[in-house]
Amino acid sequence: MKKKIMIILAIPLTVSMLYACANTTSIVRTHPEKVTGMPDCTECHSDARAAFNHQAAGFFGKHRFYAQQQPLACAACHEQSFCIDCHAHKEEIKPSDKYADSPERNLPHRGDYLSQHMIDGKVNPAPCARCHGRQNNEGCKACHR
Amino acid sequence: MQKNQRRIARIALSLAGVATTCSLLSAGPVMADGTLVSGQSTTIFRTRESMIDNKTLLAPAYEYLTLSATNLDKDGRLSFYFGGWGRTDLGSRSSDTYQDGDLRYGYLSYRSPRNNLMANMGRQFIAEGVAAEKVDGLYLRSDFAAGFGGAVFAGAPVVTEPNSKGGDLIYGGRITQGMPQYYTVGASALKADLSGNRYREEEGVDIWLHPLSQVEAVGRSSYNSITNGWMEHAYTLTLTPLDRLSINADYSNINYQDYFFHMTTNVFSLISPSNPTGIIDPNEQMRSLGGNIAYTPIKSLTITADYKNYTYKIAGTANYYGGKASFTLPDAFVAGLAVHRMNGSTDKLRYNEYRAFASKKMQHLDLTADFIMAGYDSRIDGVRNSYTVVGAAAYELMPGLKIGADVDYSKNPTFTDEVAGLVKLSYAFDIRRGAEGRSK
Repeated sequence: MKKKIMIILAIPLTVSMLYACANTTSIVRTHPEKVTGMPDCTECHSDARAAFNHQAAGFFGKHRFYAQQQPLACAACHEQSFCIDCHAHKEEIKPSDKYADSPERNLPHRGDYLSQHMIDGKVNPAPCARCHGRQNNEGCKACHR
Repeated sequence: MQKNQRRIARIALSLAGVATTCSLLSAGPVMADGTLVSGQSTTIFRTRESMIDNKTLLAPAYEYLTLSATNLDKDGRLSFYFGGWGRTDLGSRSSDTYQDGDLRYGYLSYRSPRNNLMANMGRQFIAEGVAAEKVDGLYLRSDFAAGFGGAVFAGAPVVTEPNSKGGDLIYGGRITQGMPQYYTVGASALKADLSGNRYREEEGVDIWLHPLSQVEAVGRSSYNSITNGWMEHAYTLTLTPLDRLSINADYSNINYQDYFFHMTTNVFSLISPSNPTGIIDPNEQMRSLGGNIAYTPIKSLTITADYKNYTYKIAGTANYYGGKASFTLPDAFVAGLAVHRMNGSTDKLRYNEYRAFASKKMQHLDLTADFIMAGYDSRIDGVRNSYTVVGAAAYELMPGLKIGADVDYSKNPTFTDEVAGLVKLSYAFDIRRGAEGRSK
């Protein structure tokens, strides 16, 4: 019993000490410079944020890693509405339809995706499941009963 | 019955979010000095043919609303964010119901100027290591000493459940250690329960390495402790030997039995003795290996060649390769051209993809044209070439107020001739607009 109490007391104490000793400056809530379109973050940053260069050829494929490793850096420029346009709980309009006027963006399901989804589902269903495995899949039952 | 109750609950949640936000807005005079409110309303009218219901004409109208209220307290640490949408059908029914909607997110956020301390409460999208979840709950994160950091979350999972349940409670966290210039390593876990039983248990490690300015490696491995197998390994190495040249190499491995576990739709259901009509073969394993080389001869132009090899334990192999060129003059003009070939061992996996687009921004007018085509080696429902042509125009009526419309024409295996249209009116109000750096 004594051991349990010690552990219960030690954990918050250790966390508090680690927090007090961190002494880092928080990432800004809002990016201080106006950023439009697809920014090249290397123009100003040389640390981890430089990797966020949206113009880099592999950025779209890697954005999930960055988002899951440095969510606060993403949040300096993007509100959650930006993520949820694609990673939706429920959505009825394809992102590429909603933003047809932004053809440069890597928005999924462009064109006739009804035919293409059968093919992409065979090639690699894992990216489908990331957005439709547990969310935004109510429309699937129209055909997949 | 239960579904209707959930729908009512969701609508109630949405209304509560709007009410809270309206209260915050109307309470402006009693808020701390410097409270800032910004938002965007987007009204969309669509028209298209129904795929299912004898191709009747559908005409749904949507309202998307995002609101943020920041600097709610005198120290500027408290803020509130809301996003939601609603739809009503002006013509035939476009889904199960004539009206629908969703609370996309709605949470109160506290952020400290020190140690990246943040606490969010409400509906939110959480991305931390193995977790990429929408949760009605609590999220906490902070930096600690010696380059350590930590995040924890807990709440009710926000899922759709067309065929299976999605869990009652989800919780997890991530611990990191790193040096911002050079590396970050993380270990994360999530757990979800359903009726007191183990529903999901995932653990993962993630890395970001940047030992030299020309080298970056990023990726993650995730493990399913219920099936006792690796779900995924995914890693990318980027080399930038010259400012104008970058080389990416990707590796990914997916074990279907461990990855497609407890999804809520039959689309990803695993075949088993108790579920012989399942769709995903649990014994399948996919490994992809590929990469791309991008060259930027002039600042506005990037030319990319890419290749990816897919190897399946059961289904054989496929190779996807091609190239693209993109031309960008910021805030003025973008254009792109892409050609790809998928060459697989089955008929369905042999096709060509083409895309060409251009978008011109003038003073108040934006014009866009987009062409997407797939040419199948073997016809699908008698169609060899499936294509879509999109034309879009938008006009800025006044700062923050924009009207746009687009029309697309498609010929594909489902529709011989399909014409769809969309009209969009968006209004952004943000007293810091143009100075806060938000991209949208």
